[in-house]
Amino acid sequence: MGLLPALLVLGLVTLGPALYLVVTSLTPLTPVNPATAFDFSDPLGNYKAILATGEFWRSVWVQVELSVVTVVTQVAAGLGLALLLDRPSRFLEVLRTGFLVPMVLPPIVVAIIWKVLYTPDISPLHHLLAWLGMPIHSLITNPATAIWAIAAADTWEWFPFTMLMLLAALQMVPQEPLEAARIDGANAVQLFWHVRLPYIRPTLVVTVLFRLIDSIKAFPLIYVLTDGGPGGATQVTNYYAFEQTFNFSYWGYGSAVATLMVAGVFVLSVAVTRLGGGGETVDE
Amino acid sequence: MVMSTRRIRRRQVLASAAGGAGLLMLPGKAPAQGGAKKLAGVTLNVSCWSSSYPQFLADYIPEFEKATGAKVNYETPSFPIYNQRMDLELSTKSDAHDVINVTFIYIGRWIGAGWVVPLTDYINDPRKTPADWDVGDFLPGSTAAFKDRQGRLCAIPWIADVQMAGASRYDLIQQAGMKLPDTFDEMATMLKAVNRKDGIPGFAAENHYGWTFIPFLQGFGGNVFRNAPTDLTPVLDSPEAVAAADFFSNMLREYGPDGVLSYTYDQVVEGLKQGRINYSTNNETFLVQMAGAGSKVAKTCALSLMPGGPKGRFPNVAGHGWGIPVGSRNKDAAWEFITWATSKQLFQRMFRDHGYSSVTRRSLIDEPEFRQKLQINGIDVAQLYLDTLTLGAKGYTIYRTVPPYPPIDHEIDVAIQRIISKQQSAKESMARLQRNALTQLKRAGVKL
Repeated sequence: MGLLPALLVLGLVTLGPALYLVVTSLTPLTPVNPATAFDFSDPLGNYKAILATGEFWRSVWVQVELSVVTVVTQVAAGLGLALLLDRPSRFLEVLRTGFLVPMVLPPIVVAIIWKVLYTPDISPLHHLLAWLGMPIHSLITNPATAIWAIAAADTWEWFPFTMLMLLAALQMVPQEPLEAARIDGANAVQLFWHVRLPYIRPTLVVTVLFRLIDSIKAFPLIYVLTDGGPGGATQVTNYYAFEQTFNFSYWGYGSAVATLMVAGVFVLSVAVTRLGGGGETVDE
Repeated sequence: MVMSTRRIRRRQVLASAAGGAGLLMLPGKAPAQGGAKKLAGVTLNVSCWSSSYPQFLADYIPEFEKATGAKVNYETPSFPIYNQRMDLELSTKSDAHDVINVTFIYIGRWIGAGWVVPLTDYINDPRKTPADWDVGDFLPGSTAAFKDRQGRLCAIPWIADVQMAGASRYDLIQQAGMKLPDTFDEMATMLKAVNRKDGIPGFAAENHYGWTFIPFLQGFGGNVFRNAPTDLTPVLDSPEAVAAADFFSNMLREYGPDGVLSYTYDQVVEGLKQGRINYSTNNETFLVQMAGAGSKVAKTCALSLMPGGPKGRFPNVAGHGWGIPVGSRNKDAAWEFITWATSKQLFQRMFRDHGYSSVTRRSLIDEPEFRQKLQINGIDVAQLYLDTLTLGAKGYTIYRTVPPYPPIDHEIDVAIQRIISKQQSAKESMARLQRNALTQLKRAGVKL
C-alpha cells in the first residue's frame, strides 16, 4: 500500500503519454480539424494505411541498414579500444578521457561538425583527399554512400559509450582465471574468447541493446546532414514519422507509426536479450 | 444564483476598469506618465524564416524598441523549421508569438483555418494606423493572396518573391558567343558551352525543388494539379511533367557543382557571389546580391527574365507577409510592429542600406533612385521585376496556396532528388510522385 502513490504517479507520468499516443493513433487527428481528435470511426485506418504505404516499408529497410551498420561498428570499435585501453597506465587514462569527447558533445554540434566535413566546398576532408590525389564526390548526396556517411558520424559520436561500458566490464574480470589460462599456454585470442568474453557478455548484450534502441531514435544527424535524402535514401522510420507528424500535421498517422516503432523496439529488446543470454553470469 | 450575480458584477467592474485604462492608453488620450513610452512593458515575440529582409530587419529593431518602449524577441529560423514550428503553434492557438510571417504555401491553410487575425479593422482604424502608411500603395499582386474568404487582408506583404535568372560570369557566356538564355533550349545550349569554363560549374538551383522546379514543369506544359483550386487531381506523371523533370534534373546533374543536391538558397547565393557557380534560376532578392557588397562578380554579373519553355514563361511569383496569430495577447502592439516593419520609410532605408529591392510598395519602385540603382551592368532589373510580377498576375501560382499543397511540395523535392541522384528515371520517379501525391491528398481528406 505504501508504494501505491508512487506507482500511481509513475504510471501517470510514464504510461499516460504513451497511452495517449496509442489513443491518438486510432484517430485521423490533424490540428487543421480539431474534431478529428475524437473521431474513432475507423480506429485501424492509420495502421491499414501505413502497412499499405511503400514509403513506410522503405523507411523500415533504411532503419534496418542503419541500425545494423552502426551497432556493429560501434560495438566493434568500442570493444577493440576497450581491449587496448584495459591496462594500468597514466597515459592510457588520459587517452581514455579524450576518447569520451564526441559522446559529451551536444548532438546538434556533432551534426554541424560532420556537415562541414561532408560539404565538398568547405570540407578539410575533401580538400585533404584532393590534395593527396584521391578526390571524392559529396558523400551525403550520393544515395549509395549517404547512409554510410551518417553511420560514420554516428559511430564517431557513440563508440565512446560502448568503449566505456565494455572497458568497465573488462576491468571487472577477475585475474585468477586469466592467470590460470596464461599458465595453461592460452594466447591473447584464446584469453579473450574463452575467459574475457564470457565475463563481459551480459554487459555486451546491454550495450548492444542500448545502441540498438538509440539507433532507432536517430534524428539530429539525419536532419542536419541529409534531411532524409537524397530521394529518401536516409529516411529512417523515426524521420518518416517526424515528417508526417510535424511537416504535414498528420498527427494520428504519425502516432500510429510511432506506436509501431515502440512495439518493434520492444520485440527487438526481448529478442536481443534472449539471443545474448542476458541475465546469465559466469560461475566463478 | 447570488454567487453567480456577484461574479458577473465583479467581472463587469474589472472589464470597465480595464476598458477605461485601455482608452486612456490610446494616442493623445494618455495622461502624462513621466515619459513612459507607448508600448513600455510589452514584450513582442516575432518570428520569420531566414531570408534577406528578415535578416536586414534585425538591424532596425532596436530603433523600434527605443521608440516604443517594447521589447522584441526576434527569431529567424530556417524556412522548413519555421514552417513546422509555426504550423504547430498556430494549430494549437498558442500565444507564443505575436507577429509571424504568413508563408505563401501555408496561406490556404493558416488563413483558411482562421489561425491569423484579419487586419482590415486595424487598417481602417486611423487611431491604430498612421495616415501615411497607405495600404493602397502595396502592389495588388502582392496582397491578393493574403485575403480570407470574406476578402479581408490577413497579412501585410514584405516581399514580392519573384524568380529570374542570373549569371555571375556573364563574360564567359559572351566569350562563348551567347547571351542570357530566353528559352530552356537556349539554356541547355549555353550551359553546355560554359560549364567548367574557368573551373566554374554552370548551373545550380536551391534544393527546394517544390519551388525551383515548378517553372520548368509549367514551361513544358505540365502542372501540379489538373485545375487548382477546383480540381486538385495531381497530374505529376503526365508526359510533360516527366519531360520537365528529366530536363531540369539533367541540367543540375550535368552542370551542377559537387553535392548540388544539398545546396540551400544561401549556398547558391554565396556560390554566385564568389563566382563558384555561373548561372542560376533564382529569386530576384538573391540574384541582385551578385551586384552588392561582398560580391566578387559585381562587374561581370547579369540578370534576365526566367527562361520559358515550349508552353510559355512561368516564373515563380509568391509573397510572404506579416500577420498576427489569433492566440497573441498583444495584438495592438503587434500591429504597431507590422506597420513599422512595412512602412515606406523602412523599406526605403533597407533599400539604401542593404540594397533590398524585392519591395512590395509601388511608390518605392517608381522612385527614380530605385530604378537607377537597379540598373545592374546596363540591365534594368526593376523593369524585369515588374514584368515578372505582371506574368505572375495571370494566376498560375494558385496551386501553391491550396491547403493540401505543402506535403506535395516536399514530395516534389524528394522526387527530383531521386532523378538527379539516378535512383530512378524521370518516368519512374514522377509516377511514384503521383502515387504519393494521391496518398497525401487522400490523407488530407480531399475528394477527387
